[in-house]
Amino acid sequence: MKTLLLTGVLLAVSGAGAVKVGVLLPLSGAGSVSGQAAKNGYDLALDEINRAGGVLGKPLEVVYGDDTSAPAKAVPEFVKLVTVDKVDFMAGGVSSAVSVALSGPAKQYNTFMAWIGAAATPVEDAFADHKYFFHYHPWSYYNFEAILNFFKTLKVKQGAKNIAIAYEDGPFGSAGIDATVDAFKKAGFNVVMTEKFKTGSGNFGPLVSKAKAAKPDILYWVGYDTDALPLATEVKQQNLKLGLIYGTPPSWPVGFEKNPLADNISGLSLWLPTSPNPESRTFVTAYKKKFGTVTEEYFAPLAYVNLKSLAAAINKAGSTDKDKVAAELAKTSMPTPFGPLTFSKSLKTQYQGFKAGNWLHFQFLGDTRVPVYPIKFAQKQLVWAK
Amino acid sequence: MDLFLQTLLNGLLQSGIYALVASGLALAVGVVGIVNFAHGEFLMIGAFMAWAASAFLGVDPLLSLPIVAVAVFGVGALTYRVSIRHVLLAPELNQMLLTFGLGILLQNLALMLLGGNTRTVTTPYQASSLSFGELSIGGPKAIAFGLAAALLGALYFTLYRTVLGRQMRAVAQNRRGAQLIGIPVDRVYLIAFGVSCGLAAVAGVLVSVLLFASPTVGLVFALKAFAIIVMAGLGNLTGVLWASVILGVSEALVQTYVPGGGGWSDAVFFLMIFGTLVLRSFRRTA
Repeated sequence: MKTLLLTGVLLAVSGAGAVKVGVLLPLSGAGSVSGQAAKNGYDLALDEINRAGGVLGKPLEVVYGDDTSAPAKAVPEFVKLVTVDKVDFMAGGVSSAVSVALSGPAKQYNTFMAWIGAAATPVEDAFADHKYFFHYHPWSYYNFEAILNFFKTLKVKQGAKNIAIAYEDGPFGSAGIDATVDAFKKAGFNVVMTEKFKTGSGNFGPLVSKAKAAKPDILYWVGYDTDALPLATEVKQQNLKLGLIYGTPPSWPVGFEKNPLADNISGLSLWLPTSPNPESRTFVTAYKKKFGTVTEEYFAPLAYVNLKSLAAAINKAGSTDKDKVAAELAKTSMPTPFGPLTFSKSLKTQYQGFKAGNWLHFQFLGDTRVPVYPIKFAQKQLVWAK
Repeated sequence: MDLFLQTLLNGLLQSGIYALVASGLALAVGVVGIVNFAHGEFLMIGAFMAWAASAFLGVDPLLSLPIVAVAVFGVGALTYRVSIRHVLLAPELNQMLLTFGLGILLQNLALMLLGGNTRTVTTPYQASSLSFGELSIGGPKAIAFGLAAALLGALYFTLYRTVLGRQMRAVAQNRRGAQLIGIPVDRVYLIAFGVSCGLAAVAGVLVSVLLFASPTVGLVFALKAFAIIVMAGLGNLTGVLWASVILGVSEALVQTYVPGGGGWSDAVFFLMIFGTLVLRSFRRTA
């Protein structure tokens, strides 16, 4: 008993004054593939940071919270991390719906947020006036800019003209859908279908029947990993002839690439393990050493970069003072697996990390994700099914 | 015309899986007299078992179906023995709290043991379909529909043509009366609850082929199943198939013909619950 008490006291003393980072992630629910991938990235970064001496001469401490991909669960979890666990900084964040809900408590507690996900523009609106909000993931208009460029080349090379859009009815899929349709039209495409769906319902029969009647060249869907297989199955079952299925989920289902139904489906990623830059190769080696496998989910390196850059800024600031750390993080210029990370203004927020130029397009070919565009990164030619 | 016929087919096929989930729930409500809020979690267990059989043993999910059904029957029977039987005479609110808590427990156990990731299986027939001109019928959904019809048929046969079935109906009508004439009420309840969970697991196996396995996959179907048993009348097994077809086809029609209908699909079953309850209240007062 005495030993137990002594251990407890020693642990409490050693933890006192340590810099704490709260990490809120969807470790379960619709966004869990991204959340779990991100957690691995944070764990890897934490190991490296602490091996290198931690921050401010003490070990860095990470306190995880599971937002369960649901705003109603995320808010109390966020408040608990800030008020009970008394974290100095908050990191994480994948879902847009969750992040919008967090804007209230974040402003109430004036929380420092180094945020990796949440691409929808309502999040940008919600955090526009928050001076401690650092956003690493590109906003959805940057994503769309990259997609539009890719589709324009398909128009020239493959004669792609008709686009059918399927989007989930939450903020991730719905925000800016009118602008998306307008932009496609402006670029000379015919938008032959615009249909929303409930993510996770798996009921794509009617949607695919409508798409079949509209005869699109490209089916562009904005949803989550849970929708990928049911949609691909339904397309195949109803024999919907397409040049390309193009999806933009934050992550894909575990093992999806091994399913023949994934063949030729295309998507967007900030990173792939085959990315040739030295930081990416170092990350892949370290990740494999720690977890015994290689991830294809870009949320893993994104979380890794997120914690590394935050720790570097705290060290440079020499304290946990939010203004000083924000000033240092704003000056970040570091090489990453995605290319250089710097912060500049977006349309509405002050500190935006990665933008349109960081995206690459891949296709599931032969059990793996193969980069197919931009041409300079392409490892194989795109398979156009029509 | 093709679009309309395909929409009807889509709805009809979707109703198969709804009927499978709802028939088990109807059995629990009708015979045992308990509203099982953990029904979706028994479906989830079935989905994960099928996924595990496929991922670790290379067994096709459909081949694992009988074993999964029997295993989850056992889990259900054990659940009845350990928890449900103790609240059968308690107020309904207590019963609901118990099954609701059981659902949360099972979901969180799955989260702890398996994590939150969605797991998919790969089968050679996953994308198979039968085509009739422009119309197509998806293989796995047709299997689900056929299986639902066969299992419901078997359930009706059991209820109306066997001794066990007669005992179940007697217990459902009057627990004390059944007990007085020597029917082993507790054993009948145990079997009925076990079969209810086994049916949910069968639906789970099909869900693992059609969609995925995840700790929360049961919720969507459990909600639909509640709508169906409300439409059919609590415990009315014969109404389950028709109510499932009505729900499946209505959803498909809304998704196809209402602008932005995909976002309204969840409203359909709420509307049906509301409509049924209003209609019933008018009938009672008439």
